[in-house]
Amino acid sequence: MLVSYAAEVGKEEGFNPPDAGDFNLPPFIEGNEFATKPILLVFLSVILISVFFILSSRKAAVVPSKLQFAGESIYGFVRNDLGREVIGHEFMRFVPYLFTLFTFILVNNIFGIVPLLQFPTMSRISFPYVLAAFTFFIFHYVGIRKQGFFKYMKEIMFLPGIPKPAYILITPLELATYFLVRPMTLSLRLFANMFAGHLLLLVFILGGEHLLQGVIGLKLVSPFSFAIGIALTFFEFMVQCLQAYIFTLLTALYIAGALAEEH
Amino acid sequence: MSENLPKGPSEDNAFWTIFGYMLSGLLIWGGIGWGLDNWLGTGYFLLAGLLLGMGSALYLIWLRFGRK
Repeated sequence: MLVSYAAEVGKEEGFNPPDAGDFNLPPFIEGNEFATKPILLVFLSVILISVFFILSSRKAAVVPSKLQFAGESIYGFVRNDLGREVIGHEFMRFVPYLFTLFTFILVNNIFGIVPLLQFPTMSRISFPYVLAAFTFFIFHYVGIRKQGFFKYMKEIMFLPGIPKPAYILITPLELATYFLVRPMTLSLRLFANMFAGHLLLLVFILGGEHLLQGVIGLKLVSPFSFAIGIALTFFEFMVQCLQAYIFTLLTALYIAGALAEEH
Repeated sequence: MSENLPKGPSEDNAFWTIFGYMLSGLLIWGGIGWGLDNWLGTGYFLLAGLLLGMGSALYLIWLRFGRK
């Protein structure tokens, strides 16, 4: 007999629409708050990424094997399309960070649709916060190193060539954009996309499961719910790749902005 | 300098920059308006702040992108 999901997580019987509580996975070692699924997934992702790129680059040859080709394609994509294209001639310094960021977010996002794992790590908001904090400190650090603290702040705060009274309106906006809105939108965009996507999959797949346990008429419609769930899984795959790309692209754009001197 | 400017993703850049300015305009001036309302017990500073924030964000976007 099927044990329903509701019984498994200790909710009441009958259909419970999935909610934010479904993201609150209790630790699997009693009393150890670090032994949770998202943290385990982060470790797993680091191991997977390391093993994959070590294997793909270990026996590097002029005529690449399939594995080497796969690894080099991903690296080449980040280096050329995100690094060189966006940052310009100083891009090589930032490729390690961009590459780490891209693969880390990508793998952790895709965990959301990998059978058995099926949880996007980035749907717990602390992880996007930390990543956005890294980007935040890096692009400000780069700007301050390049231009000096006061010149960098002056460039953010005072756009040249506008009447003086307008600064009262404009300066708070520039400051808020650089120091508040940028890290906030960066982390919330990633978090919200992963959170909503996972919730959507839960609705259709758990809904299908619940219909399957109903009367015969309901049993007949449950395949449709599963079919939508499967279609949405492919859609989610697209969103997961896109979000990893956007996060890395915006990081590169912010670094490029901090490096550029405007005259 | 001009050869270093991004070509492909510059439209992405413009989109997110504009989005960011609109958001911070509403947050900052709307927030100031909301604070004044709470402090003085009035009800119209929030609206005024939101409009002012929207206006100055549009002005800033015009300065950045529309001036050339």
